[in-house]
Amino acid sequence: MSNKRWRALAGTLAPSAAVLVVAVLGLALDTYWQYVLAISISAAATGGALAMLVSYARCITIATGAMLAIGAYGAAIPVVWAGVPFGAALVFATALGALAGFILAIPGVRFRSHNLAMVTLVFQSVVIIVLRESKALTGGAEGIHVPPPVIFGISFADDAYFLLLCGLLCALAVLPIAVLLAGPFGKNLRALASNENTARAFGINVRHHLIAAFTFSSALIAFAGAVSAPRFRIIDPDSYGVLTSIFTLAYPIIGGMGSIWGGIVGGGVLRVLPELLRPLADYIELIFCVLVVGTLTFFPEGLASALWTGRRRSRTATSSSASTREWQAPRIATSLSEAESVAAAEDETSERPMLELHDISKAFGALRAVKGVSLTVAPRSLHGLMGPNGAGKTTLFNIVSGFIPPDSGRVLISGMSLDKVPIERRIRLGMSRTFQHAAVFHRLSCLDNVMIGLGRNSVLQGATRSLAAALDTEEIRAERYAALSALEAVGLGARAQDAAGTLSLGDQRRLEIARAIVSRPRIILLDEPVSGVSVEEAQRLRELLVMINRELGVTMVVIEHNIGFLVSLCQRISVMTEGQILAEGDAAAMVSDPRVRLAYFGEREAAE
Amino acid sequence: MVVVGGLKFGAIYSLAALGIVVIHKATRIVNFAHGAFVLAGAYATYGIVEAMGLGYWPAYLLVPIVTGLLAAAVELVTLRPIRQSDMFALITSTIFIGIGLSEVYRLVQNTEMLGVPNPFPGRPIFIGDVIITKEQIWVFAGAILSSLIGVAIFGYARLGRGLRAMAANVRGAMLCGYSTDSMNALAWFLGGALAGLAGVFAAPSKGISPELSISMVTAGFVAAAIGGFDSLRGALFGGLILGLAETFAAAYVSSAMTNAISFLLLFIVLLWRPEGLFPEAKIRDV
Amino acid sequence: MILQTSGLRVASGPMIRVDGLDLSLAERGCLALLGPNGAGKTASVEAIAGLIPKAAGRVTFDGSDITGLDASKVVRRGLALVPQLRELFPNFSVEETLLAGSHAARGRPALPFEMVYELFPRLAERRRQLAGSLSGGEQQMLAIGRALITNPKAMLLDEPSAGLAIGIVRAFVDAVKRIRESGVAVLLVEQNLEIAAALADDCIVLAAGRVVWRGSARDATSSEEIRQAYFA
Repeated sequence: MSNKRWRALAGTLAPSAAVLVVAVLGLALDTYWQYVLAISISAAATGGALAMLVSYARCITIATGAMLAIGAYGAAIPVVWAGVPFGAALVFATALGALAGFILAIPGVRFRSHNLAMVTLVFQSVVIIVLRESKALTGGAEGIHVPPPVIFGISFADDAYFLLLCGLLCALAVLPIAVLLAGPFGKNLRALASNENTARAFGINVRHHLIAAFTFSSALIAFAGAVSAPRFRIIDPDSYGVLTSIFTLAYPIIGGMGSIWGGIVGGGVLRVLPELLRPLADYIELIFCVLVVGTLTFFPEGLASALWTGRRRSRTATSSSASTREWQAPRIATSLSEAESVAAAEDETSERPMLELHDISKAFGALRAVKGVSLTVAPRSLHGLMGPNGAGKTTLFNIVSGFIPPDSGRVLISGMSLDKVPIERRIRLGMSRTFQHAAVFHRLSCLDNVMIGLGRNSVLQGATRSLAAALDTEEIRAERYAALSALEAVGLGARAQDAAGTLSLGDQRRLEIARAIVSRPRIILLDEPVSGVSVEEAQRLRELLVMINRELGVTMVVIEHNIGFLVSLCQRISVMTEGQILAEGDAAAMVSDPRVRLAYFGEREAAE
Repeated sequence: MVVVGGLKFGAIYSLAALGIVVIHKATRIVNFAHGAFVLAGAYATYGIVEAMGLGYWPAYLLVPIVTGLLAAAVELVTLRPIRQSDMFALITSTIFIGIGLSEVYRLVQNTEMLGVPNPFPGRPIFIGDVIITKEQIWVFAGAILSSLIGVAIFGYARLGRGLRAMAANVRGAMLCGYSTDSMNALAWFLGGALAGLAGVFAAPSKGISPELSISMVTAGFVAAAIGGFDSLRGALFGGLILGLAETFAAAYVSSAMTNAISFLLLFIVLLWRPEGLFPEAKIRDV
Repeated sequence: MILQTSGLRVASGPMIRVDGLDLSLAERGCLALLGPNGAGKTASVEAIAGLIPKAAGRVTFDGSDITGLDASKVVRRGLALVPQLRELFPNFSVEETLLAGSHAARGRPALPFEMVYELFPRLAERRRQLAGSLSGGEQQMLAIGRALITNPKAMLLDEPSAGLAIGIVRAFVDAVKRIRESGVAVLLVEQNLEIAAALADDCIVLAAGRVVWRGSARDATSSEEIRQAYFA
């Protein structure tokens, strides 16, 4: 057990350790290389910060130069003009960077892709212009001279001392980012970059997370700028221009978008490439561009990852479904404390309807998709929803799960109104769902997918859980155990560490179910849970759902086109057509109901 | 007088923005490399006017073709293979392609800055108090005319129909026999040609240097955003608005504001009306 | 046989939508593809038309193998698709939509626009109206018209009557009959058994991506098996 703990901790400390090791090794080299390594180390820190924004959150940022400048000037100005000690100036500069990132992100994260890139470019350009124009404070275009850092009376002008200081400081600074990225916070970022809607359904507030990502990474970038400034001796606005921002973007892309290492190695190596490849110095920028475009085209995961894939390929995706092997559905472990369990004890005996829809209507322009639908779902029941194409089932589902606001009507869960409750909060109220296209987070492991299902995904929770993960606390182990139990319950225990994208469709559907049940929800909405799977697999999924309903007492509402499946699973079925409930009742009765047959087949009845 | 100067630069920005919007409408990609095409046009102008001494008229005709082909080649070689990737990969690629191209020009040229002569030197015209140079009139009229021709091609010609169909509905366009490959190449050719033309008009007054690449893509982007990314008319007006704003800011505030104003404008547009001033009326989706 | 598929497999990601479909459409014939939602009917015709990729199998049209061709090339060979979502251009007028469609008929004898206007007089009245402002039924007419203008030898119709009022459905049934009469083979995807029976010679029923019933249209209407297939 403590072995695992050490491994978890070691993994998180490794990037920082590597930085420190490089610094220490550099002490054995001559002053020229010590100078180069100091720059390399601060670039590595920048790369690590960019890993958060670029690799994990997949945001394009062209503001890195500005953040470096904010850090550099933010530390230099207090020292030069006010004699502030270096340590305090460093803290100030970092805080300034965090603030800058925050200010940039507030309007910025309303957008994605090109508009976000442009907002960061606006920020970048405005900062540089301000720096250039504020001659009195910043020395304008000529820049200012930055003295070597002085800490407790010791001057770090010497190359070797500076390298060591730089290594120590950057190692420390990289640590929080490494912790965040390795833990649930990083996983949440990957999840939202992969599929925003699904992420939101499990409590991940996209806006908050992106603002946090910008804030944290800008802080670290400013830090790196502040630390490296004394090395350059003179800082001026033009060294932190648009081109700097663009070329730092290359660090995580070329280094590898799979982990923080890509950013760190990318930054460390690429920043000093002109030094390492002296004869090619003139062509360096062109080489960068070719490398980036080449990497994006041929190695979407980055060069570092391309080398690792060899290792991963040996554990190729097996298409054999979990259910083809012998498995017995074990009793689902109830390892979460009762206080944490969302389905409180009182729900067990409550007779209030689990889900109520009162007169829900929704129109899209002239198309009335849902016309005054009222529905009641009994607690602990299995309730089906069927109807021909265009009947409005999916729209209704999306209204209940919060993706679409209804034009009128109310949705109540266990008596509580869901009016104005955003998607992200519905999981806290005990609602979970699966998606038609098996919306698992492909790049995350099965275990990580299910852990997201726990719904403890606010930014604060994500950050604290990341720290907990680094320290391998009891709490995080309990979470992992719960997730693993959920995986075992659906028969995927053995695939916990495999990336979700390598699973067969049937297994992905199971994974979705595991993710949906781990938070012990009151109700699960299942959107076409057996679409695209074989008859045998559908049968096994049916047994799984019945078992879950029985063991956990979870209410389930299921949309399916596979009517046989629906009838064999559900007790009651509501039939929708043209936006309204056509009929509702016992499952078997619905199927032989002449009105239902009419809706599907257009049969003319003798009565007509 | 400020107005005239603003209109002249505005017309150049309109051309650049038009190219960006054409490419975006037809292929959904925002081409951050656009500035590099403008720069290519400027360099080509130098080549034709100075190096080969052929004068300006051949430049106006040949340069768009050259830059159009360059743009189409870029699409074919670098973007087509990753057409299926997400926006992140596509946009980042265009950013680096743009920088890469600028680098190539710089290395080939071996000097940082080049110049081309004024196509219409001579005494300026006086209208009342206002001094207008022939060059200003020419650039304004020429750029606007070219923009209108571009809009006409896109909007009315048979050539443009496929592009508009593709912009409206890719699947529907394919069912009409328009292939995505040809349409993408065409869109990039058209966009590149417009960019190159902007370069020819810009070369005398803005100078030919790698700086031009970044400033033109930014100006083009801001102008396109002001107009609403999907509207050609919008790009036209956006460019003029930007040009006027810049020259007014430079004249009445400070020259540093010239750069800042474009970003301020962009910021305001994005926050206040992200769909631009001329949003293409989104008629009910069919 | 103007159109044939053998072993057609269509997948979207890990989901197998169509698993081994063999069908034949006779020249000037009419084949109905039936089945419940999610059975793979739309995936089948879109794959045949080249709009979505095929995981496996072969498609032969008019004597040549069109398996590897994408939609823009398939339609130029004379196989037109009217997709389920119509996929029209909201700001193109009726006339311009047909002009766009006629692009696919380049190099082949053209179909005069008048033929489409004669088939759908409502469209003639609204020549200059924008597609986005037409009613549902008119949009469907335009979608069919656009496919017709490509002068096809065969047409794939994906649920042309879906969401339309009963009265208009009659009109469509008649229109499809006339299209058949003009010599165009029709592959019709339908959920509604009655409509399929009125138009088709033969029927194939798909369920969960596989063929579960094959036979003549007459047999289909009386078959209890088909109803079982839908509800099983």
